[in-house]
Amino acid sequence: MAVLLMLLAAGAIFVYAPTDALQGPVQRIFYLHVSSAIAAYGCFAVVLVGGIIYLRNDSAVADRFARAGALVGVVFTTVTLVMGMLWAKPIWNTFWTWDARLTSTLVLWIVYAGYLLVRRMAEPGRQAARLAAVVGIFGFIDVPVVHFSVTWWRTQHPGPIIVNDALPVQMLGTFLFTLACTLVLAGVMIAIRYRIETLIDEKQSIAEPVPVAAGHRAEAGPEAVP
Amino acid sequence: MNQLRVALAVARKDLRSEWRTRELVPALAQFIILALLIGNFGFQIDSRNASTIAPGILWLALVFAGLVAFGRTFAAEREQASLEAMLMTPASPVAIFAGKALAAAALLVVCEMVLLPALSLFFGMPLSGAVVAAVLLATVGMAALGCLFAAVVARVRARELLLPLLTLPLWIPFIIAGGLAVQSAMGLPGSYQQAIGLLIDFDILFVVLTSLAARFVLDE
Repeated sequence: MAVLLMLLAAGAIFVYAPTDALQGPVQRIFYLHVSSAIAAYGCFAVVLVGGIIYLRNDSAVADRFARAGALVGVVFTTVTLVMGMLWAKPIWNTFWTWDARLTSTLVLWIVYAGYLLVRRMAEPGRQAARLAAVVGIFGFIDVPVVHFSVTWWRTQHPGPIIVNDALPVQMLGTFLFTLACTLVLAGVMIAIRYRIETLIDEKQSIAEPVPVAAGHRAEAGPEAVP
Repeated sequence: MNQLRVALAVARKDLRSEWRTRELVPALAQFIILALLIGNFGFQIDSRNASTIAPGILWLALVFAGLVAFGRTFAAEREQASLEAMLMTPASPVAIFAGKALAAAALLVVCEMVLLPALSLFFGMPLSGAVVAAVLLATVGMAALGCLFAAVVARVRARELLLPLLTLPLWIPFIIAGGLAVQSAMGLPGSYQQAIGLLIDFDILFVVLTSLAARFVLDE
């Protein structure tokens, strides 16, 4: 169903939406570029919330969601970056510029790629989950900080134009539809990945019996911070 | 009060063991000199452009020296398996972490005492209180984050690989603000006041966050 929706969105982008007067057909990148950026933020929010819940009560479900969110988020960030570069080449005449938003998106990508690497290299289990949760939380905080600190430094990227009515109705409609489809796609991808992570966990627990009883440190909740 | 005493005791222990072995600081000092040498060959440096290149070399050398220093923070503990012993004592993990971060920050400051004069010697970078203040402020936050992630990777297989990957993106805010502060202190465009204010904000933010996160990393 998600695939069908994405096809519909592609149809809307190429057929329904008018061609931009200044930029020509390249502007059609906009719909998917911004949508996947928003979807990526959504995925990383899942990582953040999953990490916090995991640290609070060792919930394996939250951790699996965090893992799934990180992977899908990295995919969407990659899509955003690549499409942005393809768009920037004809419009800005360069693939890359050290603009605030570009820099912070690149940092975002690096942080969560690092998250995935931690998951791969740490021994699977509670320790990896807790370490990764810390990485995920710090990564989420770091990105607005980076963004803020480069913004007053220099910026070239256009600001949000969706909120202030600058788009014609057909473009806005196409954008909102693409956004909705992309979010559904992200949700479905997270769900699929969640299922895979569950299977991985089950395989692991069959291969070796669980070493520590889960929830044994329930008595030392986060309230116990001295 | 007690927490502070524990932290200071841990820091003192780390610094004393460094003083007795004298491993890390001489190695880092050499590392920094080498970084300057590479900077010299990598850029075409003459008397006109030296002052614009020097801040970049400053942060590159500092960041990589910092990575090496923080990578060693938990090395001795791991080799002797003494971290578990420390965590078994009634001392709180946060205090132990704070002590280790303090010691690592102190070692990094020692490195800066080599780096900054060397920069002014080799690159003609003017040494002012403003530059020193910016570097020291950046060190606070870098030490907190670096130590946290050193603890994170201490128990991971490929820790030498992962530490830079995790730490560098989080250090970027400090490098942006610190870089701007140093540049503006040297007369390049930019607002020194604003950059220093930002550095202080980041320091507070990340010191608070790392102390909240420390117990999850060190615990168990």
